[in-house]
Amino acid sequence: MGKKLLIEDQIRRNKQLTIFICTFMALLFIGVVFAFGYIFFQNVFIALAFGIPIAIAYVAVTYSFSIRTVLSAAKARPANPNIREEKILIYKVEEMSIAAGLPMPKVYVQDSENINAFATGKKPENSVICVTTGSLRKLKPDELEGVIAHEMSHIKNHDILIATVTIAVVGTIALISEILFYSLLWGGAGRGRRNDGNAILIAIAIIFIILAPIFSRLTYLMISRRREYLADSNGAYLSRNPDGLAKALEKIKLDQPKGKPKGSKTVAPLYIANPFKMNISEKGSIWSTHPPINERIRRLRSM
Amino acid sequence: MDLIWIIGIVIIIIIAFFALIYWGFYNRIIRKENRIDNSWAQIDVQLKRRADLIPNLMETVKGYMKHEKEVLENVTKARASLMNAKTPQENIDADNMLTGALKSLFAVSENYPDLKANQNFLSLQDELTNTENKIAYSRQHYNDSILSYNNTIETFPGLWFAKRMNKKTKEMLNIPEESKELPKVSF
Repeated sequence: MGKKLLIEDQIRRNKQLTIFICTFMALLFIGVVFAFGYIFFQNVFIALAFGIPIAIAYVAVTYSFSIRTVLSAAKARPANPNIREEKILIYKVEEMSIAAGLPMPKVYVQDSENINAFATGKKPENSVICVTTGSLRKLKPDELEGVIAHEMSHIKNHDILIATVTIAVVGTIALISEILFYSLLWGGAGRGRRNDGNAILIAIAIIFIILAPIFSRLTYLMISRRREYLADSNGAYLSRNPDGLAKALEKIKLDQPKGKPKGSKTVAPLYIANPFKMNISEKGSIWSTHPPINERIRRLRSM
Repeated sequence: MDLIWIIGIVIIIIIAFFALIYWGFYNRIIRKENRIDNSWAQIDVQLKRRADLIPNLMETVKGYMKHEKEVLENVTKARASLMNAKTPQENIDADNMLTGALKSLFAVSENYPDLKANQNFLSLQDELTNTENKIAYSRQHYNDSILSYNNTIETFPGLWFAKRMNKKTKEMLNIPEESKELPKVSF
């Protein structure tokens, strides 16, 4: 702790960890499908033929609806260049997209007192950055720049894709385990019990399937927190100014959300700070989408 | 007979393997090189845009700033050297000069409340700050692209392919430390 890390090293380490966690997620998924097949059909291949199309369909559906759903859930509107604050926001997004070497995202504004921002889009070529009007009023230019750099990094790192895919995998695992759970209740999966030698294996498979949804959810949240750190350090790299984002996060910490947040909970990981539940405690919870804000500030300050 | 077949297949697989790697690296190196050219084009666009904005600014300011001849002249001079610059480094140096000249112009403008209230001046100031930031960030991206290109062709195994393709490392732009500090425009 307290060790100074180069931004580049932080980025590399974070990427490695994400790959590692994603591999774990994939293994978990394959494990669930295998266990399912073993209990149900005593044949893994039928289960694979069944589980993988479900997962792919789920991803395709969530993915193709993403942008419009997210924007309308957040009640966002395109930024108006005739208002000076919003024009400056457009300028800042333009600047950061040049720094990142990405095409210019569309700029949206959400009318809200809170300081927050999110990014969405299927790929960098048609992405959207949305900032609340509260941030435009309360943040200084370098702080706003830090926030936009963070969002730009989410786009550059394909976090939107990672979030959608992991959410879909979590959903599929939950679905499979639920199907299995109910079929066990009805006694539909009793065929495997004919052979006594397999009883232990089947018991293990059942326990695994009950625990898998919890593990997959935790893994997903862990990925989400990792990506958050990654976007922080990448954003600092883009703006060459970690202090801007650190100061913005400090303001967010002091400015607790007022009123009901608008938007859908699925995209909470894409916000700069979770608009539904702020994580300000010193110790991070394994159930939160974002790392504790104090730790994020500490890491940015140590760059 | 069988042995010959096996050896033949193994050799073909090995050749195919190396061909694939070469293909990958060839494309990667060319892509990175194109990215450098593209980011230079970006800088160029912004530099032009900035030079185009200056006459407008001068026109707006002229009526108000009667006693700041030197400041105005410096801006015009810096713009002229930007228009004449040829190499990337010359461009950047001229641009730094212009940044300095504009900085003092905006500093002096604080003494002219009428000018500060002029909408046209305000939006020009915003836009000039914007192009200035864009130039700074595109320079940064240009240097990032060069760094990534150089890393590819200087490390193993890219080194091999780069030699084969006759590619040499490129030089980064020399950006003075202080120019990284963005001018403070209050809004």
